[in-house]
Amino acid sequence: MNPRGHTTVNRRHFLKAAATLIALPKLESLASAAEIAAPAKKARNFVSVGSYLGLHQNAFFPKEVGRDFTMPETLKPLTDHRDSFSVFSGLDHRAPNGHKAWTNFLCGNTPNAYSLDQMVADQIGQDSRFPSIQLTAGTGEGTKAMSFTKRGIGLPMIQRPSVFYNQMFMSAADKSRMEHMLRSGKSSLDNVLDDALRLQKSVPSRDRDKLDEYFDSLRSVEKRMEHQIASINDPVPTTDYRLPDSDPITPNLLMEAETLMYDLMALALENESSRVLSMFLDGLGQVFSIDGEPLKAGYHGLSHHGNDPAMIRDLVKIERSHVQCLSNFITQLKEKKGVDGRALIDDTIILMGTGMGDASRHSNRNLPTLVAGGGFDHGRHIAVDQSDPNAPLLGDLYVTLMQKLDLEVGSFSNASRNMNQLFS
Amino acid sequence: MLTRLPLLLAAGSVFPISLHANAELAIPDAPAEFLINHCLNCHDEVEMKGDLNLDFESISWGDASEREVWERVHSMVDQGLMPPAKKPQPTDEELQAILPWLDESLLTHTPIGGTPPRRLNQSEYAATIRNLFDLPDFKLPLGFPRDTEFHGFNNLGEGLVLSPPLMEAYRQVAGKIADEIFPPEKAAPPLSSRSAGPEDMVLSFSAATVRGDALRLVSQSVTIMRSCSWASRIEIMASGTYRITVDASQFLPSIDNPASGFRPFGDEPMRLEVRARELSASDRSDVNTFHLLKEIAVSSESPETVTFEADLYKGQTVLFRWANAAMDHEFNALADQMGAWFEREPRFLAAWQKAVYADGDISKSRSVSLRGKNGWEIVTRHLADPELDMSQATMDTPMTKALLTHIRGDQGTFNIADALCHYFFDAGPALELHKLTVEGPLKLVDDPQEIRRKEIRGQLVGTRQPGQSDEAHARQILTRLLPQAFRRPVDGQTIDAYLAIAQEHWADGFSFESGVHLLIRNILISPRFLYRGVGENNWDDFDLATRLAYFLTQAPPDERLMALAGKGQLSAPTVLRQEAKRLLPDQPDSAMIRSFTGQWLDTNLLSEIMPDAVFKFSDAEITLAKKEAEWFFTEILNHNLPMTDFIDPGFALTSRAFAKDNYQYDEASPESEPVYYDEELKIERLPLTRGGRFGGLLGQSAVMMATANGVDTQPVLRGVWVLENILGMPPPEPPKNVPALTPDTRGTTTPRELLTAHTSEEACASCHQLIDPIGFVLENFDPVGNWRENWPKGDIPIDSSGVLPDGTEIADITELKSWIVAHIDLFSECISEKILTYATGRVPNYSERKEIEKIVQHNQANGQGFQDLVLDLVTSETFRTK
Repeated sequence: MNPRGHTTVNRRHFLKAAATLIALPKLESLASAAEIAAPAKKARNFVSVGSYLGLHQNAFFPKEVGRDFTMPETLKPLTDHRDSFSVFSGLDHRAPNGHKAWTNFLCGNTPNAYSLDQMVADQIGQDSRFPSIQLTAGTGEGTKAMSFTKRGIGLPMIQRPSVFYNQMFMSAADKSRMEHMLRSGKSSLDNVLDDALRLQKSVPSRDRDKLDEYFDSLRSVEKRMEHQIASINDPVPTTDYRLPDSDPITPNLLMEAETLMYDLMALALENESSRVLSMFLDGLGQVFSIDGEPLKAGYHGLSHHGNDPAMIRDLVKIERSHVQCLSNFITQLKEKKGVDGRALIDDTIILMGTGMGDASRHSNRNLPTLVAGGGFDHGRHIAVDQSDPNAPLLGDLYVTLMQKLDLEVGSFSNASRNMNQLFS
Repeated sequence: MLTRLPLLLAAGSVFPISLHANAELAIPDAPAEFLINHCLNCHDEVEMKGDLNLDFESISWGDASEREVWERVHSMVDQGLMPPAKKPQPTDEELQAILPWLDESLLTHTPIGGTPPRRLNQSEYAATIRNLFDLPDFKLPLGFPRDTEFHGFNNLGEGLVLSPPLMEAYRQVAGKIADEIFPPEKAAPPLSSRSAGPEDMVLSFSAATVRGDALRLVSQSVTIMRSCSWASRIEIMASGTYRITVDASQFLPSIDNPASGFRPFGDEPMRLEVRARELSASDRSDVNTFHLLKEIAVSSESPETVTFEADLYKGQTVLFRWANAAMDHEFNALADQMGAWFEREPRFLAAWQKAVYADGDISKSRSVSLRGKNGWEIVTRHLADPELDMSQATMDTPMTKALLTHIRGDQGTFNIADALCHYFFDAGPALELHKLTVEGPLKLVDDPQEIRRKEIRGQLVGTRQPGQSDEAHARQILTRLLPQAFRRPVDGQTIDAYLAIAQEHWADGFSFESGVHLLIRNILISPRFLYRGVGENNWDDFDLATRLAYFLTQAPPDERLMALAGKGQLSAPTVLRQEAKRLLPDQPDSAMIRSFTGQWLDTNLLSEIMPDAVFKFSDAEITLAKKEAEWFFTEILNHNLPMTDFIDPGFALTSRAFAKDNYQYDEASPESEPVYYDEELKIERLPLTRGGRFGGLLGQSAVMMATANGVDTQPVLRGVWVLENILGMPPPEPPKNVPALTPDTRGTTTPRELLTAHTSEEACASCHQLIDPIGFVLENFDPVGNWRENWPKGDIPIDSSGVLPDGTEIADITELKSWIVAHIDLFSECISEKILTYATGRVPNYSERKEIEKIVQHNQANGQGFQDLVLDLVTSETFRTK
């Protein structure tokens, strides 16, 4: 299915062998040679998760810097995965403030510009069934997007788990419908083309050139259809996993939606339907229950806590539930194996963050950021001092992530360095 | 050359341009001398300044790109921009040697017309589908490829390219439309029974909560999120009749409860409304938008079971509302209820006072953290506090009055009601729901969508005559549908070509409907549908009808236009004018006005601009600003007001509050209620004294925002914008290798100081003499259009004086406006060019601009009405030619 799969596997085998060599004592000469020959292991998949109402800083950032930090309140569900993630403070994109600029999370200094996940998808996603997948857990008001194409077009997000499920594990009925649409559509194209050619002949020559755009585009679409028809009988992944019989799209089922989406993402990574996935965690206004207990106010209301401790407590409760979902996802990725037998977690970079540093004040400074998996040396709180004029930007971390995904890039938005020295 | 002409004509598709195709003519001596004396020093083969070489002996006038070069020469010399100020200037006599010759040559050799085929742009495409299939709710899918902007507009033939991703998007939409009309068959779902307990119900904002095995509803409001609950795990998959079972009971307060006094629930039953809600509808919906299935009288404190049958449609769930709830979210009702309660219970009043005015200062209300349960807990704490300050707790104190006013205010109502309902959650009265069961479908029914679909299918397919074959019936459909889809009569050959699609499909064993489904998919990707201006006759009345309709309505021509075109009457100027007048948009939210003003004035950018917090400019104000620009244009068009009103109108169309905040508007409100243009936004026609700072496009919030970036202003950008969009003198592109000049106006150095550097540079001076004075005048408007006297940092007074290129000294915005009013023909020509560019899909060429000049002169002499001007433009040769 994946034409590049084989070379990757082979190279990985080689890297594994090289790594073993380094570990052996008394082979110093070989070791130094291997160090030059063997770059650090690369990751294959990228998952980004963005929280629309921020992540309360005091409960997210550890008090201590480095390895021996006390697990902060929000991150407690990740205690068992301590060595599989790192948390960053002091990073942001120096982007404008406010809800409207939230998309700076993946877009950098300019909200609604080419987003990190799409940059990655354009490089490594093209051979997958789905170059990238955009999901949302819950949906508030107004159309929002987290991912933006190179041309700045916000990509729609899938809100219903069943829609994602049906795309990934297409039913026989859906498949035959798709085949019918493709075959009938393609066979009738000739008639449209004939009529269009007749039209083209009747117009002045200058207009004919303009209509060439039409013919070029239609032929390209025809080719695409041919390709789709040819691959229609390629095996579609199957699964024993079953969704509940209704989609959790009401506000009280936010956490259930999130859990299902993570489950489906784990399946998509396992069966290689896609390598680049993103999920938006929407901020709903409504009150819902966590562990059977109704919140003191709606999620959005809680985010405007005005430093009231009771409000903050409930806000952190929601955020801890987000992190619990993430933790379960990491557990799944540790259990599931990729094509080369490596645990998926080592192949998958997970970025959890937000475009808002403090939702209570609508400030987009100091964005809470967490990176898990992907084969990094984890287990640390990396704190950046923002008062230092040379302090790295969040974009510098993104460059490091992209390089880990084997992209040849040196800059992202307003950042043109990387954080490889601090984090590799 | 001439001998080839008849041959070309015989080909049947000749542009007038062919007449001049090979007209390579020598440059006469007099203009040649001018070129040698004033131009060739810099613009010859060697120097090539500005990439321009004018060292030729003859000109190929038939070559559009050569004409463009000489047009530029004409305009630069005519405007006095070239030769540059530092070089010897030509005498009038010398100018006479070149300008009339260039003018005449350009006019002779530039044919009117020549729009390439125009692909429908996004909004035209969507409107066309809505019209063709009578699908008023059709919207393009998210992520549909965007159109390219070209010369400031998104509907120009040259800019509207067709790319493979767009073609694929067209194909996908065509499939969706066909599916919408002929949906693929689905197996009926089996009979099932689903139950929901309190945990499966939506709590929404403060509408409900869970207590033990019951969901409690306590309040009434027309907004569902403050009154209703609905089942979250039941979504109807097939429209049908269902059996619905509800278990509900009363929860009544004990006798000594303070609330029991003010709205007793003695013998009156609680009215429980059961409604059908679309699960995907907004949670802010009005309850009345959801169909009432049943009203249940709940009058017992032990659960009672009610079962009934009702129709539920695909995508719906069951929603509950306690219609006569004790607590009312409506602000006056809430304030009255709480007022009565305060009067009865001074401690209750004192606790709320303490909660809302924590510091005892009635100018500082705190209600954000009072939201929901948290708020009620705060009030409860104060109630229990033995030290509670009772000194203000009577009905006549300022604090009590302020509190009641606060409760009556929008935000106060929400926050306080969201907290107060927690009292009722605990103490009652509440309506308790225990269980909901939905069984079915007992039988399938057509939902409104399916009924609508059948109507559309009926219109599309028509009735089959007895004994009519599939082929004859399909031909009947195509004969009616194709001319509508292609916006012109369709010949037999084209009908046969499409009929063949269905025939081949039937031959493969598919049904009649499947064949029509396939036809729809193909018609919607035909170039005859996707493009306009591709008629076989090169250009005829149908093309004109299409141009007129998309120009004024952004939609395909209606029946009347098609009928007039069919009779060949539309191109008659009187008829065309009359039809244009009929279709002229007259509402600010009509498609043409929104689209044209948004692109001409760049106010489309407003949705992306984020004003810096220091300007305290809210989203509501951004909406108002954009609406003001649209109303302003509409007003001048509707009332045929003089062109000078665009610049100095003597009125503003916005809300009084907006004008007060942003335009220093201080006229007293009239005694009587004003006539609102827009009730919701409170937009009215505010009289202004002519000749002032505000009023007109310059200084209008929307325009000042669109020409800044939300944070700071850039005088050069605003100057260029005015030249391009108001005065119609777009300066040439800045020379290469010169970095764009964007002075940081936040710094302590004034932009003027920064700009002096380049106005002294010869290469820059010629244009910046024109750009900068205008830009500086507009510096008095901050990035959201507020008046300012000083630059933001350093408090340096803004020096807005300048000298316009004709030597006029201007001190400020009022003098710039008077200058434009005195030269209103410049503005009239500018907007005319924009209108014709937008309408014809091409940028007017030399001859077309000359026609515009004449039209404007005529308009100047005949009352200067804007509506007159637009109608004259529609009847122009430029508009009427391909």
